[in-house]
Amino acid sequence: MRIALFIPCLVNQMMPDVGIATLELLEKLGHQVILPKGQTCCGQPMTNSGCFNEAKKTTLKLLNAFKGVECDAIVCPAASCLVAAKENFHEFDSSPEAQAVIDKLYELTEFLHDVSPIPAFSKPFPHKISLQMSCHGIRMLDLATPSEQMGPRNNKVEAVLAQIPQIEIVYPDRRDECCGFGGTFALDEGAVSGKMGKDKAQAHAATGAAYAVGFDPSCLLHIDGMIKRQKLPIQIRHIAQVLNAAL
Amino acid sequence: MSSKDYILNALKSSGIAPQAMPVFNVAPRIDDLVGQFETNLNTVAGTLHREGGLTALQLKVDELISQGLQIISMVDAIKGNREVTATAHELRDIDYAVIPGDLGVAENGAIWVNNKNLGHRVTPFICENLFLVIEADTIVANMHQAASKVTLEKGEFGTFIAGPSKTADIEQALVVGAHGACSLNVYLA
Amino acid sequence: MSNKNSAVHAKKAEIFCQDEARVDWHSKALWTVREKRDRAAGSLPEWEQLRQIGSEMKLHTLTNLGQYLEEFEKNCLENGIQVHWAKDGAEHNRIVHKILADKKVKKLVKSKSMLTEECHLNPYLEGHGIEVIDTDLGERIIQLAGQPPSHIVLPAIHLKRGEVGDLFHEKIGTEAGASDPFYLTRAARAHLREQFLSADAAMTGVNMAVADKGAVVVCTNEGNADMGANLPKLQLHSMGIDKVVPDIDSASTLLRMLARNATGQPVTTYSSFYRGPQEGGEMHVIIVDNGRTDMLKDKILAESLKCIRCGGCLNTCPVYRRSGGHSYNYTIPGPIGIAVGAQSDDTNSIPWACTLCGSCSYVCPTKVPLDKIIHHHRRLKAEAGKLPYGKSSYMPLVGNFMASETMLNCSMSVARTALKVLPGSLLKPFSGAWGKYRELPTAPNSSFEAWFKKNRG
Repeated sequence: MRIALFIPCLVNQMMPDVGIATLELLEKLGHQVILPKGQTCCGQPMTNSGCFNEAKKTTLKLLNAFKGVECDAIVCPAASCLVAAKENFHEFDSSPEAQAVIDKLYELTEFLHDVSPIPAFSKPFPHKISLQMSCHGIRMLDLATPSEQMGPRNNKVEAVLAQIPQIEIVYPDRRDECCGFGGTFALDEGAVSGKMGKDKAQAHAATGAAYAVGFDPSCLLHIDGMIKRQKLPIQIRHIAQVLNAAL
Repeated sequence: MSSKDYILNALKSSGIAPQAMPVFNVAPRIDDLVGQFETNLNTVAGTLHREGGLTALQLKVDELISQGLQIISMVDAIKGNREVTATAHELRDIDYAVIPGDLGVAENGAIWVNNKNLGHRVTPFICENLFLVIEADTIVANMHQAASKVTLEKGEFGTFIAGPSKTADIEQALVVGAHGACSLNVYLA
Repeated sequence: MSNKNSAVHAKKAEIFCQDEARVDWHSKALWTVREKRDRAAGSLPEWEQLRQIGSEMKLHTLTNLGQYLEEFEKNCLENGIQVHWAKDGAEHNRIVHKILADKKVKKLVKSKSMLTEECHLNPYLEGHGIEVIDTDLGERIIQLAGQPPSHIVLPAIHLKRGEVGDLFHEKIGTEAGASDPFYLTRAARAHLREQFLSADAAMTGVNMAVADKGAVVVCTNEGNADMGANLPKLQLHSMGIDKVVPDIDSASTLLRMLARNATGQPVTTYSSFYRGPQEGGEMHVIIVDNGRTDMLKDKILAESLKCIRCGGCLNTCPVYRRSGGHSYNYTIPGPIGIAVGAQSDDTNSIPWACTLCGSCSYVCPTKVPLDKIIHHHRRLKAEAGKLPYGKSSYMPLVGNFMASETMLNCSMSVARTALKVLPGSLLKPFSGAWGKYRELPTAPNSSFEAWFKKNRG
């Protein structure tokens, strides 16, 4: 397939390794990967605070980067940005071209589970990992059944990772409690955000895992800051990095 | 304009789309209703006496009377030592009340009582301890089934009683015995 | 200005967070209730089906609310129940006072009613010479302590047993230093029993108002509502217009979910149906709007009215658990508090006391889309020019900044260099709230775009 990468501003500027791992693993799966130019921000920092007017410019710029781009899918390694992009594109542009872009949008894990499953891994990842089940992916996408919901349980994140040889997957206590990043929440409500992040980082470390692995870079950055402040013996990895290391 | 008219008028404009009433077709769990009832009654801190029926209950009541306790019975077949009082307040020293229930609910250990069987409405609440009597075949699976069977005529009062009164308002520590009865024993007639 | 600043949620939350051990205790206590809820909900294979039925039933009722309220009133009247309508809290209080004053009531016993909290009934009646005794144990504790409730179901969840013990020693004469919950509860039982027996009138809230029967349903674990309503000969029940349900089937569906979602019990000890006054007694129902008809006009906010006040959203909310129920500048805290209180929050801060994690929406037994509603409140505040935390100044700047590749690339390049080159101690003061609680991130060498250009371009 021909895949267009949607690399959100946070990944582009602060966590390029996540983008690199995403690109490499998609190429290893035989896909042709392109990076449309002119990608700015999905607008989430503004729209999250109800400031839609202020988000319009950047959102439309991002949308236009993908309009008319020939590709089979647009893949994003950041669940919250993916969700925000879908919502915000729709908010500002109801044209068929915009809908065509929205219809092609996939978060990386969901793409690997639903569209392009990994046939085999060539290397082991002999470590215990603690999964960071971030809120957008769990409650606004369909990456796993949220703990609040009763009935049949589904878990695309674990399914994608479980085939890696020698990997051990565990979950922190309060497995899908929010890590406390919340975008501008981290700045507005510093104390609560800090406490939530500290609790989350400690919960991951308490599993004895070598890595806290997640699909949402913003959560990982926040938890990483906590891990370093608390000097906890665990490191963060994005799911793309773990998968790429095993391919 | 009266407040009633103001409110009813304001209600004419609603932001939500019309919604049909849903169909209530929930499958009941009907295996071992008495067993389910007992398990759930225990969960809510009540005790079920399966064997012995009214004879066992009368024996128990007689034993309590011999200890000098005050027992009022609203169940025809059970004799206590107190009659229905002139005022509700005079029930304040009742140690045990014996009350007939109309039906039991297996999913939560609750028993429906209707004011026709209470004398004063406050009887099951003001007594220090409570005995409820139901017939085993009146136990229904869940609240949906109970809804169609409870008696609540115009002007009446009825209540589902699930165990003795309780609270966890102090540090989430469960304490049995708050303002209502401090114990509940259920006898199958 | 400083008054308003100290009242913002973030400031109150910061103070709450200063005692970390206490935050851990508070958060754990409420999470435990969430866990109990999960076990109870999980025990019913039909749980998700019930939520859907509950949601649809409530939506149906709300879209026909006028008709159901009239049906309810008509049936109440046929049952000998007197019905009153109040536009707002002030009118509610006047109506209640008139009923009590006409009967020369000196003492009123009251069971839990968030609506009466919303209307600030207690101080109004007390100001008119009527003694009000809150009889729910948690409510009595905070009444004696002179505090508002911090949770809609567990009003005193923020207090430790020793604190309750000290309070009871001072106010109702329990032994000094005694803090065993059993001992304290029994002391409260004895103390409040005297109040029930000497009360002139009783008031309760309403969990559900059954339209086709003209009956109100009142649920408690303690039995205080029924001790109150069935002793004095005058009983009053206050309800928001959103409490009406069409029939007993609807009430039963909600009764299956209410206690399970609130505390993890299969049902409350007492679920009482009052379909008329006692013999020789009087029963009054007061139906209150107080802003509900306004909420109903907004498609998104209207769904808040499906709420059955179980408190499940508070128990799961990671922000509520770490900031406490007194930080929300409104009678009701937590997610549902933001949903129904945001418009009247003059600090404009409570819609941002949330990470939009969505846990509340998934926990809600009637599928109130709380995170969507809270986000909508943010939009309404933004559109009304009522943004907190300096957002009205910086959001337009950020919007422009984010839209410019040049600005993003240049400034972030500078930031990456600074992060690499400057010592953390220099950077932290500039990194504001981020650096206060976290270490700064390790800076990458370049952006992904730059890497792509070099390696794939």
